[in-house]
Amino acid sequence: MLFLPRFDYEEPRTLPEALDILSDLRSDTKVIAGGTDLIVNMKKGSVDPARIVSLKRLKGIRGITRKKEIVAIGSYTTAADIARSDVIARSFPVLRKAALSLGSPLIRNRATIGGNIATARPAADLPPALIALGARIKLRTKGTNRTVIPDVFFIGPGRSILGKDEIITEISLSTLPPFTGADYIKLGHRAALEIAIVAVASRITLDSPDGVIRDARIVLSAVAPTAVRALSAEGALLGEYPSDELFAKAASLAMNDCSPVSDIRGGADYRRDMVRALTIRTLANAYREACGQGVGL
Amino acid sequence: MKKTYHTVNSRVPRVDARAKATGEARYAADLAMPGMLYGALLQSSLPHARILNIDVSRAKMLSGVKDIVTAKEAGTVKYGVSPARYDETVFCADRVRYVGDEIAAVAARDPETAQEAASLIRVEYEPLPALLDIDSAMSDGAVLIHDDFPGNIGAEVHQEFGDVEEAFKGCDIVRTDRFVNKRQDGGFLEPQACVAQYAEGHLTVWSSTQSVHYVQRSLSMVLGIPIGKVRVIKPYVGGGFGPKAAVNTIELAASLMSMRTGRPVKMVFSREQVFMHSRARHQFVHELTTGVKKDGTIVALKNTCHLDGGAYSSFGIATIYYAGSLLGAPYKLANMKYDGYRIYTNKPACGAQRGHGGVAARAAFEQQLDIIAHELGMDPVEFRLKNIMKTGDVTCNDFNMSSLGMKECLDAVRDGSGWTEKKGKLPKGKGIGVACGFFVSGAGYPIYRSETFHSTATIRLSEDGGGANLYTAAAEIGQGSDTILSQIAAEALGVAFGDVKIYSGDTDFGIDLGAYSSRQTLMSGHAVKAAAEDVKRQVLEVLSDELNVPRDDMDIENGIVIFATGRPDFSAVRSAYAKEHRGWVQSSLPEGLTFKEAARLAFLKRGVIVGNGAYKPGELGGKYKGAAVGTSPAYGCSAQVVEVSVDMGTGRVTVDSMTDAHDCGFAINRTNVEGQMQGSLSMGLGEALFEEVKFDGGGRVINASLGEYRIPTSLDMPNVRTIIIESNEPNGPFGAKEVGEGAIMPTIPAILNAIYDATGVRMNELPVTSERLYTAIKNKVK
Ligand SMILES: Cc1cc2nc3c(=O)[nH]c(=O)nc-3n(C[C@H](O)[C@H](O)[C@H](O)COP(=O)(O)OP(=O)(O)OC[C@H]3O[C@@H](n4cnc5c(N)ncnc54)[C@H](O)[C@@H]3O)c2cc1C
Repeated sequence: MLFLPRFDYEEPRTLPEALDILSDLRSDTKVIAGGTDLIVNMKKGSVDPARIVSLKRLKGIRGITRKKEIVAIGSYTTAADIARSDVIARSFPVLRKAALSLGSPLIRNRATIGGNIATARPAADLPPALIALGARIKLRTKGTNRTVIPDVFFIGPGRSILGKDEIITEISLSTLPPFTGADYIKLGHRAALEIAIVAVASRITLDSPDGVIRDARIVLSAVAPTAVRALSAEGALLGEYPSDELFAKAASLAMNDCSPVSDIRGGADYRRDMVRALTIRTLANAYREACGQGVGL
Repeated sequence: MKKTYHTVNSRVPRVDARAKATGEARYAADLAMPGMLYGALLQSSLPHARILNIDVSRAKMLSGVKDIVTAKEAGTVKYGVSPARYDETVFCADRVRYVGDEIAAVAARDPETAQEAASLIRVEYEPLPALLDIDSAMSDGAVLIHDDFPGNIGAEVHQEFGDVEEAFKGCDIVRTDRFVNKRQDGGFLEPQACVAQYAEGHLTVWSSTQSVHYVQRSLSMVLGIPIGKVRVIKPYVGGGFGPKAAVNTIELAASLMSMRTGRPVKMVFSREQVFMHSRARHQFVHELTTGVKKDGTIVALKNTCHLDGGAYSSFGIATIYYAGSLLGAPYKLANMKYDGYRIYTNKPACGAQRGHGGVAARAAFEQQLDIIAHELGMDPVEFRLKNIMKTGDVTCNDFNMSSLGMKECLDAVRDGSGWTEKKGKLPKGKGIGVACGFFVSGAGYPIYRSETFHSTATIRLSEDGGGANLYTAAAEIGQGSDTILSQIAAEALGVAFGDVKIYSGDTDFGIDLGAYSSRQTLMSGHAVKAAAEDVKRQVLEVLSDELNVPRDDMDIENGIVIFATGRPDFSAVRSAYAKEHRGWVQSSLPEGLTFKEAARLAFLKRGVIVGNGAYKPGELGGKYKGAAVGTSPAYGCSAQVVEVSVDMGTGRVTVDSMTDAHDCGFAINRTNVEGQMQGSLSMGLGEALFEEVKFDGGGRVINASLGEYRIPTSLDMPNVRTIIIESNEPNGPFGAKEVGEGAIMPTIPAILNAIYDATGVRMNELPVTSERLYTAIKNKVK
């Protein structure tokens, strides 16, 4: 049997109260949201907090709201909430797809977007789409407020810039410019309950339906200590007319924009090849969506 | 003429459906008793080492610890599965042989304390070289894992029927292929758990087991308690698939600590311990050489197999035989040679798992037959049809096909899948494949040498005749035997299904070897049927005296007594019955004489009516060494067509559809038969595409969780078209035989053959992960 170690448990009612508790900066404290990472790790013994602060009762950190051009996602919003949101489906279908690829229906009912970010797993499913979409992460402590982009949030496996006394409160997205399309493909062994062998999120924005690529993002996941942008591949796309050849060229460049390792889920060579395969596919699908033809598979 | 049945051959709901759906069902880990202690194991952290010293002093000092046992307390009585290979002791005395080998156990007031105490036990080791695969274990000068087995060969088998080399000379195609699967885990939902209670000389153990009988015998032998004073009870069990078919260390350790402390002791495996205990599917390395004639006649098969056995024998002595003996059939084959070697390695012991011994062999053989069919330019279905056996045939190794609906199975999947329209006509990346399967319907002999009955059953009628209580030691482990046996009892006795109440999985209820080798429907079913007939005979005897009607002119069907000729006057019986219930609100009785009235009469005349049944297989074929493994009273067979899509860019395989036909002789419960087919297919799909127990260089399982050891999810399973074939087995109750294990046989090769059809690539190594297939496709293009 695996047992949970003993710990103290706090269930603050308000955000200030929660931030107040965290402000003593005790290093043995952990915030808990859905618990799908934290509880597993505590049972395994890889984390052993003496105090747990639950976000369960906090008001205003769960849900998706739209104010003009900005869509705000509370950090306690679950993957299932995201997957069933009309706003997300309409404005950011790629995020819906990423949320639907996370775990299983049961896990999605608990797993929160804040937890998915804070846990900083190299293969986490939401960060690649969030990076591709240019999301901003709002962080608060008792006395401070800051907004960062996910590109700088992650430092390494399980490591981020999140302070001990800090809570992720919100993830915000600006609606995308016209002629933009995006896609996320996760390669796993099974059809569900998979940590990615490789995953790629791509977004492109065209000048016009038959114009050049004005903006592009390619995010590679599970092939580096954090999700990384394939900068040389992105560079190759800018100002060019989209074509299969162009996407193939970018995909080949992407293979060298990452540093895959061989582990229990897959070999480094295979992963590199899959970066190419998935980059081509996500770009092609993003392009199709950008032209208004809807996202493909 | 087809007899009409009332209860068998139907789709009655499972008797345990409600308890399981509501959560009322209690499994071993749910049990609790007053004063109960909790046990924990200390297991080896090294794959191979001498034990120099075990220091329990710090553990003993921990408050709440009630008992600590090591080999010193447990003794070193050797046990195992087959007496020919008793090679285990409860705890390691001087040597550990795999990461997880058990060294000590602690009983304490709560599980946390027990675990902490176990972690405080200090073991001094002298490491020995770790032999983690077949090659290193067989290499020259390798250290011996068991001193009396040179070359680390734990068992070897050499059999030849006909003359293979001579036969190859007359063949037009002779080809050799190598095939390797990976060690699998049982992947059952419920980890092993038990509670042991020793009081006044009697030991009672509640355990998550497939065989209360084997556990009872082992506990008795190892702990030195007479068999009659050991009772093993199986609560609800969440799957077994083979690994739970023998005694395990926690049953022994909990019993020992209960004997010493006088308190009940509970022990539960973690998921990681399930992987460390293993006793599941071996890794098999097969080299098959098959010879055929131009016209497609299969003539000879040479099969060499090396099994990575792990550190102990477990069921391996049977596994090694099955890996040879189950091939050939269902095809006519006059010449067959088999050389098998089971190798000890420093890993958890392998044992039996669904399709025992035959699954990798079948995958290798059916894929090779597919290759040969293509070389011959023959349709793979036609090629198989040309070679299959039929009812009445006998194999070269003396298996008697007392019923065999092989042709019906093949025809059914060909027609049911649209094979003819699809084969050879699908676009690249889509493929269709076919394969056949074959399996025993119960091992012909117990795993220990004995003349014992394999199954007994007792039925006791309630004094009012309103109910029949069925007692059997057969093990319901999720496969549905409680329902099947209740149906058989109801049908044979002639009462309604709801009038039978089953009590099962308890050594106090009789002998039953348990749920393994696909035996319970046939064997326990026979015993139950005999018990029901015994009860019926007794009731009819009393009735015969009373009504002056010859006993053989009466029968009972659906709760009513049937008379062959006319209807005698039974008003006296009826009014006597009514008198027995004076003052009760009488529900109106049907026109005919009811079983209830007759049974009440029998009770009044004779006392409690008890019927007994006992079964063991009759004389089976085969006088050669090893004939005991593979001979069975009946054989099931199956055929399957699978369609896949392969993503050529990533190597990812999606199984799109499966059409499966299985000859179960006669379906006692049609829904249950389909359930076994579906479950087998999903297990086969997992082994084909995902499942592999992996080790690090230190012999530690690195994916001992259901997160990283991947059994298929519901999204990985396509809809399955199940087709039941009924060949009416003369040696089975109502004509029934197996479906529990044989159904897995065709799945892996049908998938492999479909992958070939989709990609042009033959995969000789399981599992076919995306990476493995992608690499093979890439190498082929090169
Ligand atoms: C069976 C299973 C399958 C899974 N499959 C996937 C998968 O396919 N893809 C995937 O990406 N992940 C997967 N996961 C991991 C996990 O479900 C996700 O990472 C999930 O999003 C974590 O969210 P949570 O709310 O459960 O986090 P928690 O477990 O509650 O917390 C995780 C970490 O984040 C911190 N944290 C949580 N919320 C905040 C906050 N608002 N501010 C600051 N810190 C915070 C916690 O302190 C903790 O360190 C799986 C997990 C399981 C058990």
